[in-house]
Amino acid sequence: MKILVCIKQVPDLESRFKPNGSKLWYDEADLAFRMNEYDEYAVEQAVRLREQLGDAADVTVLSIGPDRVGEALKKAMAMGCDRAVHIADPDALLRDPWQIASIIASFAGGRGFDLIFTGMQSQDRGSAQVGVLVAELLGISCSTTLVGFACDGEYVIAKRELEGGIKGVVKLRLPALVTCQLGLNVPRYPTLPNIMKAKRKELLVIPVAELLATGPVAATVSFHPPMRKGSGMVLEGDVSTLVEQVIGILKEKTAVLR
Amino acid sequence: MDATREIYWNVGHGVVLPMYILVFGAFAVLLWGFWQRLRLWRQGKPLDRFDRYDERVKRAVSEIFGQLKVSRVKGGGVPHALFFWGFLTLFGGTLLIMLQADFFTPLMGVNLLSGDFYRGFSLVMDLAGLLALFMLAGLFFRRFALKPKGLEIVDDDYRIHLLLFTILITGFLMEGARMAATELRQNPDLARFSPGGLLAARLFVPYGDDSIRTVHQLLWWFHFTLVLGFFCMIPYSKLRHIVTTSANAFFAPFEPKGTLAAINLEDESIEQFGAARIADLTWKDLFDADACTSCARCQERCPAHTTDKPLSPMKVVRQVGELAELNPEGSLVEKVTPEALWACTTCRSCQEICPANIEQVNKIIEMRRTLTLMEGAFPGDEVRTATSNIEVNGNPFGLAYAGRGDWAEGLPVTLLSQESDVDILYFVGCYASFDKRNRAVARNFLTICSAAGIKVGILGKEEKCCGEPVRKLGNEYLYQMTAQENIQLINGYGVKRIVTTCPHCCNTLGRDYRELGLEVPVEHYSTFVHRLLEQGKLTLTPEPFSFTYHDSCYLGRYLDIIDQPRELLRQAGGRLIEMEQHGYDSFCCGAGGGRILAEEKLGTKISEKRVRMAHDTGAPLLVSNCPFCLTMFEDGIKTGGVEGELRVQDLAEIVAGRLRNPN
Repeated sequence: MKILVCIKQVPDLESRFKPNGSKLWYDEADLAFRMNEYDEYAVEQAVRLREQLGDAADVTVLSIGPDRVGEALKKAMAMGCDRAVHIADPDALLRDPWQIASIIASFAGGRGFDLIFTGMQSQDRGSAQVGVLVAELLGISCSTTLVGFACDGEYVIAKRELEGGIKGVVKLRLPALVTCQLGLNVPRYPTLPNIMKAKRKELLVIPVAELLATGPVAATVSFHPPMRKGSGMVLEGDVSTLVEQVIGILKEKTAVLR
Repeated sequence: MDATREIYWNVGHGVVLPMYILVFGAFAVLLWGFWQRLRLWRQGKPLDRFDRYDERVKRAVSEIFGQLKVSRVKGGGVPHALFFWGFLTLFGGTLLIMLQADFFTPLMGVNLLSGDFYRGFSLVMDLAGLLALFMLAGLFFRRFALKPKGLEIVDDDYRIHLLLFTILITGFLMEGARMAATELRQNPDLARFSPGGLLAARLFVPYGDDSIRTVHQLLWWFHFTLVLGFFCMIPYSKLRHIVTTSANAFFAPFEPKGTLAAINLEDESIEQFGAARIADLTWKDLFDADACTSCARCQERCPAHTTDKPLSPMKVVRQVGELAELNPEGSLVEKVTPEALWACTTCRSCQEICPANIEQVNKIIEMRRTLTLMEGAFPGDEVRTATSNIEVNGNPFGLAYAGRGDWAEGLPVTLLSQESDVDILYFVGCYASFDKRNRAVARNFLTICSAAGIKVGILGKEEKCCGEPVRKLGNEYLYQMTAQENIQLINGYGVKRIVTTCPHCCNTLGRDYRELGLEVPVEHYSTFVHRLLEQGKLTLTPEPFSFTYHDSCYLGRYLDIIDQPRELLRQAGGRLIEMEQHGYDSFCCGAGGGRILAEEKLGTKISEKRVRMAHDTGAPLLVSNCPFCLTMFEDGIKTGGVEGELRVQDLAEIVAGRLRNPN
């Protein structure tokens, strides 16, 4: 079984984000990058399936971006992916989901992947579109926000998270694409022998120009921090004391009673 | 009449040949026993503990014959030392008799054992015997009647006590029988020099010569057989420690305390990291199991054990021994259990007090290494998160690395990336960089430096976690990755001296980083500020206050810094009320060994226990000088219910508040 896992390297969310020069995305200075959290679930699930199937399975991990995404790919290989594909694209962060999905589909098309894992969404852009778009472009079945997964080689049984704590179970015939949600699994910490092994695994670099043939369909107009707004105040309790409180606040913070 | 005695009196010289044959036989059994143990020890990896031979011999001789380590704990230790000296004297005296009877007399025709020398010899031997007997009685009472907590009674204890008592008592009886038939009648004056024998002799006085002689012969053979039995038993019982514990005084490491074998990450032929099986430990680790006397001193001081966690350093050592003997292919981690391994704070109090020079801490870390590096295991999910935070942001909190130097904004400090000509590099560490409480310590340290005219540089956002917590949790890979980045950076700036406010950073940079290429001198601010004061670069205005001082494990036990912080506090006007466990005997705060990253889910809280000890002194103030300790105590004071009665402050805060001319 040929398995593909698509991962994205994103800035750590604790980082301090500043708009870049063109005010269309964030500035990369002083940001620490890591593998997108949801993609870690995808990698873990792919590796578990790989372990379940043994050598009958082969897991390729793919990422689009500048040189630094090599780190995320190495981590995925240290977790157990067999090989990696780095689609070299310094502008990956600026591309819209349609372009990213097109690049992936253009790579995956004709390579005969039976199962594709992606994260439910990225932690930075958060469109949650790439997975479903890839499935659509490849014409394969698709299920999103997985919190449970089983595969027998012919079908995928996927447990999906729905609104309000409700779960749904779907059955997909392979080939298929699934997007992974928090709760699906606990991603493993790579062992040292696997980290060492990962250094010797195949890492194929493909320039994005070979795969990208389409323009964006959604343009980013502006990237800026939320406007600062004054915070509200909720007073509770007995009416008589509430009146006192309101008068006090009006005196203290405003000029209306002066 | 000359003062001497007839050797082989009543048993005759005919016993000499069978006696020697039997003695050689007993020694053969002893050697065979140790030969078999040797095969157990050799299952371990090689390790050179035969270097610096002369120093090792000197240390071993002074430790063994001085009984230096065992006697540090008075209860069991002092009687043990006295018993040892008594028994050793008896052994030496017996050897002298052997030399006299079978070498000096037949070969040289001289008798050393006569006249005043014999009188002295006789008295010393008798007193040694009595001393050994009384001490043995004391130890017997302690073990079987007082039953100190943690001291287990095993079959060996009954056998050995019985054997030693019988050897000593039959010795005196035999002497008494001989004296009743000889000295008492012929030379009663001499009998005074055998006070123990004299007491026994009185028992025989009523009986006739023949009966005495028969009983004496029986006693001689009985005593002799018991002594042979004693030698034979050594390798097969707890008596083994006579050889192994003594040998460990020779084998003990000379490396700086806390030295851990670094893993060569370049070596791709290594398939096993850390200790999963017996063969992954060193021979010394296996030897340690045989050197352990189960005295329980480690266990009763272990912060994990005494707060009801499933760890006893003694048990770990024993479990290693059991596995080496019974199931060398078995899993160490399974035997010891991950819960026990993760509970260790690497506080080193076990190793500090161990009379047998056993290295408990590194065994635990080696087993943690296999858990971490081979299985990707963690003590809890919070540690997984913290580890991943260190990987991404270089600090366990997961805060933006770019904010690491924010605490120093507006303070008199130089960023090395802007100017590298400074007096000291202050390696701030994660806690003083990010934790609100510890940022105050960093600021106060800068105040002190600035008052002394010291130009301080920091690495700011370029600094990363020193790697200590993850290393102690077994993650050698992540430790070396972060360490190498720090080292490259520091070496690149041509730093002359590094000062830390964290004892963990201090140990790591000053000792562990040596192996990876950092050579700059590193010190803790306690000694640095102490020196500034001594050199007159700082003056304090003493203000009286009462306090108790907590020795952080890594400052006290690991770096031997005990007096300087106390002296600083004294000069600041402090009146010190010591906790019972202080100095080398200090009790951990609970945060060492990477536990600072972990939640304490098992047993009771170590920090609360330590805070209670501080509270019990009656002092209103607890002073520490370690960010982990400070963090633990701030928590312990709140959760331990002594809020309002006890405060905790860092040494830097006390000193900075009493500077003569604070800038």
